[in-house]
Amino acid sequence: MRKPEFVYVTYIETTPEKLWEALTNSEFSKRYWFNTELKTDWKIGSAFALVMDGTTTDVGEVLEFDRPRRLSYTFHHVLSEAARKERPTKVVFNLEPHGKLVKLTLTHEDFESGSVILDGISKGWPAILSGLKSLLETGTALAIPPAALAIEGFQ
Amino acid sequence: MSKPEFVYVIYIASTAEKVFKALTDEKMSEQYWVGNRVVSDWKIGAPFALKLKREEKDVTGKVLEFDPPRRLAYSFHAAHAGMEAEPPSRVTFELEPQKDQVKLTIIHDKFEPGSKAFESVSRGWPLVLSSLKSYLETGKVLHAPWYETGNAQQGTA
Repeated sequence: MRKPEFVYVTYIETTPEKLWEALTNSEFSKRYWFNTELKTDWKIGSAFALVMDGTTTDVGEVLEFDRPRRLSYTFHHVLSEAARKERPTKVVFNLEPHGKLVKLTLTHEDFESGSVILDGISKGWPAILSGLKSLLETGTALAIPPAALAIEGFQ
Repeated sequence: MSKPEFVYVIYIASTAEKVFKALTDEKMSEQYWVGNRVVSDWKIGAPFALKLKREEKDVTGKVLEFDPPRRLAYSFHAAHAGMEAEPPSRVTFELEPQKDQVKLTIIHDKFEPGSKAFESVSRGWPLVLSSLKSYLETGKVLHAPWYETGNAQQGTA
């Protein structure tokens, strides 16, 4: 049986450097990631946290920081007791330039079988990455109402 | 063993009507679908074709659902690149307005285990749907030279 994972590919008309900045700089992430800040110094092994509207939602550590090609960190959702009990998962971004485009591949893996967060992250990433693409191509990312995602506990 | 299916969600700053039109209009599809064209009169049961720019044999099927601007479905039978022997698969689009955007969900299912068509469309849809989003939001489509010249592996493998 295949291990549960979430993979999403999107193509963005931008440069790998600009996309890298958007993935690692809170000034960008706040604009497309439900007002989420990325708290880390991006050194390998350093602590990493996602902070949404002042609340820490996820923590982890930086695994790879190969600018502007590959970024990864562990990801441990801490907002619910059930999620805190699960082992940390892993997020990997791969950036490949193709002409005027960048192919962005997100892989979120290492879920426990029956993970309580797989459903939520599978709904969240398409919204976040759609906003990221809009921001880089048009300068604006429209807010998606959190309730539209139908993620339990995220309103 | 579970049958393979491809599911993809993308949010587009547009209206459901405009997204639905882009999915069903031959001239618009040619813009964002790397030169391929959707052709049908969109009556239930009527023929559907995806006219492929780089292949002699089109993708063919039938219109299964046409409920503008909410739901569209057609069967999908590719006849190029050794996929002719496979049974038709099914493409379903669901459109949901979300404030000032549209949540577009595509479900491509009814593949046999080990299907070549499944591998092919799983590589193709993210590019087509990324280009559709750019087309509706910026008026510009994405140019994918590796795809348009037939060297599909370079960018989509």
